[in-house]
Amino acid sequence: MSVWQEKLPQSDVWVVMATGRLDQTQNMNLEETLNALLDEGHYHLVVDLSQATYINSGGLRCLVSAWRRAKTNQGSLVLCGLNSRLQEIFSMVGFDKVFAIHEDCEAARSRPSSS
Amino acid sequence: MGSEQSLTVPGRYKEIKRICEFIAAGAAQAGFDDEAIFRLELCCDEASTNIIEHAYGEEDTGSIVVSYEISGDDFIIVMRDQGRAFDPALVPPPPTINLDGTSADGSTGQLRIGGLGLHLIRNLMDEVRFSSDSREGNKLVMIKKLEAQTGKEAS
Repeated sequence: MSVWQEKLPQSDVWVVMATGRLDQTQNMNLEETLNALLDEGHYHLVVDLSQATYINSGGLRCLVSAWRRAKTNQGSLVLCGLNSRLQEIFSMVGFDKVFAIHEDCEAARSRPSSS
Repeated sequence: MGSEQSLTVPGRYKEIKRICEFIAAGAAQAGFDDEAIFRLELCCDEASTNIIEHAYGEEDTGSIVVSYEISGDDFIIVMRDQGRAFDPALVPPPPTINLDGTSADGSTGQLRIGGLGLHLIRNLMDEVRFSSDSREGNKLVMIKKLEAQTGKEAS
């Protein structure tokens, strides 16, 4: 897995892209990236999962923790690009009702605060 | 097939991928499609994580023995460890999360990873059983019906 981050132009919205497997050995990488942005006061985040092939409960917990921190600070954490397998996992634990999830990552980038 | 295949790995997070690959290979041979294999891998991942975190308490404390076999229409996965008894049946379902970021039970702390993982296992497998005794240690049996897979292909 690798994690990339970029700031959207003319906004304080940061996009974090996680690729590959979000498993127990890799979730720390995503968690550190999200926490570093939140620590710096960037509370509007988009997590692009279009290149993520797998997620376990540790990955879900990592996203929920970041979502909570963003929400507590009047921010948002929006997800985009989940494949059907990831969508199934999110639905199974009810996280599809918690997160704003955009199929299209371009839409998430243009409307990042809709959560 | 029908004979039991077994793998023993150290209780370490980076070894979980080996367990998943071992089960994926067996499941593919048994005739499961990619979607079903993904779900079986996830269940083994969650079960292995629980063994390391709850039964052993940390990494490198003991080993994990995983095996699979086909019995009739059942694809049977068994995971064994020698750690503390950890009965999944005693773990409550994960709390519902409210849209304001709190949990429905009022807690605002981190979600219980075990609760979430077991919730996934219970939803993705057809049958889950746990037993523990001082001689054989902990034994988690997870069963997925091959029949459902065949039925899915036919529909």
